[in-house]
Amino acid sequence: MKEIRLSWLTFLRMYLRSFLLQASWNFEKLQNLGFFYLILPGLRSIYGDEIPADVRQRHGAYFNTHPYFAPLVAGTTLRLELLSLAGEAPAVDAETYKKMVMAPLAAMGDALFWGGVRPLAALIGLLIASQGSLWAPVVFLVLFNLPHLLFRGIGLALGYVQELKAIETIQKCHLPDLAIRLKESTTVLIGVLCAYLSFKGCEHQDISAAWGFIQLPIVLLFAWLAHKGVTSLFLV
Amino acid sequence: MVVGDYLLAGLVAMLTGLDRVALIQIMISRPLVAAPLTGWVLGNPLVGMEGGMLLELLWLGRLPVGAAIPPDDTQVAVGATVLALSVGHLLDLHGMPMVILAVLIAIPLGKFGQVFDRLARHVNDRLALSGHDALMTGDTNGLERYHLFGLASFALASLATAVVIVLIGSFALYSVAPLLIGAVRETGLSLQYSLILVGAASLLGTINVNRSASLFCAAFIGTMLVLWMR
Amino acid sequence: MSIVLARIDSRLVHGQVLEAWVPYVNADCIVVANDEVAGASFHCMVMQAAIPSSIKLIIGTLEETASILSSADLLKKRVLLLFTNSEDALKVCQLGVSYTKLNLGNMHSSAGKDRYTCTIALDQHDIEKLQQVEDHGVTIVSQCVPTDREQNWHKLIRSGGR
Repeated sequence: MKEIRLSWLTFLRMYLRSFLLQASWNFEKLQNLGFFYLILPGLRSIYGDEIPADVRQRHGAYFNTHPYFAPLVAGTTLRLELLSLAGEAPAVDAETYKKMVMAPLAAMGDALFWGGVRPLAALIGLLIASQGSLWAPVVFLVLFNLPHLLFRGIGLALGYVQELKAIETIQKCHLPDLAIRLKESTTVLIGVLCAYLSFKGCEHQDISAAWGFIQLPIVLLFAWLAHKGVTSLFLV
Repeated sequence: MVVGDYLLAGLVAMLTGLDRVALIQIMISRPLVAAPLTGWVLGNPLVGMEGGMLLELLWLGRLPVGAAIPPDDTQVAVGATVLALSVGHLLDLHGMPMVILAVLIAIPLGKFGQVFDRLARHVNDRLALSGHDALMTGDTNGLERYHLFGLASFALASLATAVVIVLIGSFALYSVAPLLIGAVRETGLSLQYSLILVGAASLLGTINVNRSASLFCAAFIGTMLVLWMR
Repeated sequence: MSIVLARIDSRLVHGQVLEAWVPYVNADCIVVANDEVAGASFHCMVMQAAIPSSIKLIIGTLEETASILSSADLLKKRVLLLFTNSEDALKVCQLGVSYTKLNLGNMHSSAGKDRYTCTIALDQHDIEKLQQVEDHGVTIVSQCVPTDREQNWHKLIRSGGR
């Protein structure tokens, strides 16, 4: 049997399609159609227009992960499909692989991008915005999307090339620890921003900047309340 | 504001709304971007940015985890900007106090976003079923079509949220702004700063780091001292 | 050892658990009690990759976790205990692990199950098992993330599924 190779054009298509992963996000099966839509160019290169029923079955099933990690899963899934088509038996088949990785990868993505990169990029944006500069949104978008767009592309390639070992590579990157470092940096920047704004507030009202220090315990009290689950809206 | 402006704002509402979940997700849906973008198409990006800054901090700490649907911060940002500019123009009230009032009125209306968003996702439940049926019969083109239809329901949900915020918000703002603007102006910057501080605090409280309190204090005191000594 | 949260979540280690619950209950150890997962080394590796190094992860069969939880190893740990289904939660309870509250997070819908909230689907079998867990003196509540309102499961059942 001739070895099937996926062309770079197929990969480009899948990269672009990954931006549409959640177009039909639904409560029943979450990203199921989205994932099939994402890997469809690959499946078409492998099977032609007649995609076998079992393949359709397993890749149209319930699926949900972090959108930025989906290309990685797509890469490995296609590679595993190719391997089993060639008669090799990978340690984990494509269907089980998807079921096993979706939730942990979602957690990683939440921590890294929603909890780490985004607040940090936004805080830097906010510091610029507090100067009244309209560059703030631009800086935020660039800082956030450089890692984001790269991550999607690298994930797709890594998943395809290293198949199951891609997870080992990911593990070696210690992404959850990186996320914590990013969050710590964010915390420092919140401190800087609060201090700067308190100082400016005092200056504006012609009172000694020493009063600005009073803000510190107030913010800490609010933070403690927020930690206890009081929503920020109630505090307002 | 003329009709064209509202149409443009509606377009921004749909684009930024799609960015929340359905399409691309490059974060133009964040208030810090969505609000100045709205302001920009309406000819005053700075007003947008002032409101966006407040909202961004208030909601930065909220993570979209799992199936839980957060209030629609994107449409609150878009709506508040439209409100501040349109009602502000109507009453000839401008500046930060007007932005603050618009933001405060738009925030509770964000709850409508949850309703519309939920509705859109339930419409998608049906799409997903049809798409899945198409897939099972081998009609992959049909699957692609149904999948992309989902974009329409998300876009409409965003537009509906923005329209509701602007409609209800306009009446509310139009009636309370003349009464409250004086008070807001008097408290002046301190109200703005306290909003920002509450936002910072809520972010600080939800961030998942052990040493957050000590890191924050050190950074706060350090910056304060540097600014003071200068 | 204290179990700061016991939760049924068919997705096990994911965003809601790591980003919302771990900081909220201040847990420093996650215990996954599941026979199937304990035997799948690849699955264990993926979960380990998702957890920061400051948090200890233990994955074991129901019996293994029950003995670890009652041993001295975790004396100073604040444990977040995860199950995938009601049956496992009951078995671990019967093996002598005592937790006071059981949180229902995500329980997937599948054929024959009625949906009670967005994330919780139960069938008669689940309800029986949960009832037995409750008979062990456990309060059972549904709460997806800490910011949601906590709701007793009887209220859920009474409101009916669809």
